[in-house]
Amino acid sequence: MISAHARDSFERILTKAARTRLPRTPDASCDIVRLNVRQPGSAAMDTDVDLVARHANVVVLTISSIDFRMLLVLHFDEDDVTTRYFVGDDQDKPFREVFLEISNLCCGAINQELLGHFPDLGMSTPYVLSAHCVPHLMQLKPNHLASWDITLDGSVRLAATLCVCAHAPLDFNAELSETQDSSGELELF
Amino acid sequence: MEAVEWLLAGAVAGVIGAGAAAFVAHRWRMAQATAHWRALTKTHDEALEQALERERLAVASKEEGGESNDEALAELTARLTQAEQDLEVARKSEAAVLEAKGLWQGEAERIAAEAARLRGLAATFERWHEQMTSLMTQNQDMHAKNHELSSIVRHVLIVSLNASIEAARAGTAGRGFGIVASEVRALATRSEELSKSYRDSLHRNDVTTTATFQDIQAGGKMIAASLSSVESLAQQLHSRLH
Repeated sequence: MISAHARDSFERILTKAARTRLPRTPDASCDIVRLNVRQPGSAAMDTDVDLVARHANVVVLTISSIDFRMLLVLHFDEDDVTTRYFVGDDQDKPFREVFLEISNLCCGAINQELLGHFPDLGMSTPYVLSAHCVPHLMQLKPNHLASWDITLDGSVRLAATLCVCAHAPLDFNAELSETQDSSGELELF
Repeated sequence: MEAVEWLLAGAVAGVIGAGAAAFVAHRWRMAQATAHWRALTKTHDEALEQALERERLAVASKEEGGESNDEALAELTARLTQAEQDLEVARKSEAAVLEAKGLWQGEAERIAAEAARLRGLAATFERWHEQMTSLMTQNQDMHAKNHELSSIVRHVLIVSLNASIEAARAGTAGRGFGIVASEVRALATRSEELSKSYRDSLHRNDVTTTATFQDIQAGGKMIAASLSSVESLAQQLHSRLH
């Protein structure tokens, strides 16, 4: 249903959006590593990671098109390191509000890239769920599911999961520029 | 006398000579004048002949020109008739085009108005989103209740364990109590399993609810954007037709 080009394009678009939108400053370090996630009901490998055990919560956002829907799941913990990284000195703003805004920007960047290939797209507002919900993404019968470990400034640990459910054959090849554009920053919620 | 006669004769002869000379001169001059008159007459006749020829030619040319003018006039008349017919056709065509333009303008206005009206669907999507929030709040409430139930079940499990220990200490007298404690522990274990399963169901429900409503919300935005695009195109068409 989803061609190899399309899978690769989704993944490149997501990792670029994470690299450009999640770090506090454009030159801050951001390491993104692909993860083999342990799936319920399948034979587990030693290298498989249990994302439910690694992070407590997730932010879910959806991009819908006529032929597919894509869920961006950002795994996070509300610990001191993460809170300090995202909230910084602005202690008046709650961490959740700041993180939801950043997640929205990240998904907005993905939406912006996809608009070049799919003219009809819409994006949801973010919603926070327990990480225990993530294994149940399988009930959406995704055609493509992939996860990445994201480390910001060497200490802030996040993760991202991409879930694509297609209703029609999907094939496109995204050509991404390496420069960071400012598009998608107007995606408000 | 002779001299006088001679003189008279001379005079007569002179007069006769002079008269003869004058006659000859007169005749010569008359001849010259006649020749000149004849030449003039000939020239005049020639000029008259030429003038008559020119007149004849002019009349012929005029007659020929008259025929040609008649032909040209007929042709021009035919062209005029054709041009009038063409103009009539063009007028009818213009009227038809104007009528069609009016209809298209009306259609473009209707499409724009319909697209603008359908943008009101955003309120419907917003209502669905509010319902999702309400559903998710209910789910969270059920999560909290299940968590409370789970802690109660854990407590019951510990109590039943303690009861089993106390029953064992009581020996034979506590045998019946031990059986009851064991039953309670078994029930608590089953309740704990049920609570875990219920928690799992709630998480699955969270995913279904969130994914469904986010799809509706994002799909709603997609439809709203498409309708805006249709409305804009219809307005552009209407402006061009104006």
